[in-house]
Amino acid sequence: MYKLLKDPTYGQVKDVQRLSDLACIPFDPDNTDYQAYLKWVAEGNTPLPADEGAI
Amino acid sequence: MAYGTVNAEQMTTQSGFTLGAGNSSSFKNRFINGNMAISQRGTSFTNPASGDYTLDRYQYRSTNSSQTLTVIQNAGSVTPPVGFSYYLGCTMTSAYSPISTDRFAIGQNIEGFNMADFAWGTANAKAVTLSFWVYSSLTGTFGGAVKNSIEDYAYPFSFTINSANTWEFKTVAITGPTAGTWVGATNGIGARIYWSLGAGSTRQGTAGTWAVADYWSATGAVNICATNGATFYVTGAQFEVGTVATSFDYRSYGTEYLLCLRYTFVWNSNGQSYNWIGTSGFTTGSGATVNFNYPVQMRATPTVTFSEQNKFIADYYNGNATSTAMSASFGTQNAIRINLTASTPTNYPTFIANNGDAGNRTITFNSEL
Repeated sequence: MYKLLKDPTYGQVKDVQRLSDLACIPFDPDNTDYQAYLKWVAEGNTPLPADEGAI
Repeated sequence: MAYGTVNAEQMTTQSGFTLGAGNSSSFKNRFINGNMAISQRGTSFTNPASGDYTLDRYQYRSTNSSQTLTVIQNAGSVTPPVGFSYYLGCTMTSAYSPISTDRFAIGQNIEGFNMADFAWGTANAKAVTLSFWVYSSLTGTFGGAVKNSIEDYAYPFSFTINSANTWEFKTVAITGPTAGTWVGATNGIGARIYWSLGAGSTRQGTAGTWAVADYWSATGAVNICATNGATFYVTGAQFEVGTVATSFDYRSYGTEYLLCLRYTFVWNSNGQSYNWIGTSGFTTGSGATVNFNYPVQMRATPTVTFSEQNKFIADYYNGNATSTAMSASFGTQNAIRINLTASTPTNYPTFIANNGDAGNRTITFNSEL
């Protein structure tokens, strides 16, 4: 399970959080965790939305 | 005056040291951490999941979590072979007989940039040699495989362990593949090199020949995973150009550590209280953000994992605020933002630090292959 992660400064979503270990995964096609996330999405899954608000 | 040429694959000195073919003077060994000295993630790994990394650069792969094992640096505390201080030690903690499609293995993925000179997949493909020291509680013919990134082209290999619980040196000559899909000079996986811990019948192929198949071991090889308590230790792993194994490319600890950092960096407070990570350019209400530069450029923008979410603090001139959550964002191959969320407001100037209880805090930056 994943949740989109909003940058606290600019509010942009450029990362996703893997909820099993709270790892922050960047949207980088060369990152193997991001590749696994894309595969998970391709299987029909949807990440949780990012939390609202900034720190 | 005209000089002749020396055209040999191996030159051996009177004292027994050897130089190999090709790039013998620099980065001869394409394995990183071949002597198993670097282990940033810890030194003991119990039942790693498939894809997990253990000692730096060594990945475990499996198809069934019923097969359990430990991977420990210097497991069993046996004396390493002469010239080495560390080894990667696998110990089976279950007895599992692989079904036809199963495969269990440990090995290293080599980055394309680090072996593009092999010219694999072309008519100029170079032959290479794999060598390593191995120690096992079992004897017989064991296996492994060299594979391409997409795992549809493989070269199964075999080696014989003659005596149980004895270090033996093994070499495997590998012909250069002139076919198959290879990534070339990129930051992708140039080649996968695995020692098999067990493989089902459809994952085993004829040793010593390239095949269009997802092979992980040689036909008839011992399935180590089938014996509870069986051990399989490896060190001195070397993967080099040429048809003969040459002396181990012993690099300095610092050099080897730097090579590992391209793939994983573990920031560690080492039990030091208030160990600052960086300075916040600004605070945003109840939290802080710092820019963090990695020690070296990483292979890709890393995944970031914090050892604990609530053991970091925003430390400022008249107080501090404890984290309720940690995150990372806006990363590149060179730097990333570390974000701390706190339940109380922070103030300028702010540093993010591990808290004051002298516990060991880690932040893991992972861009492994």
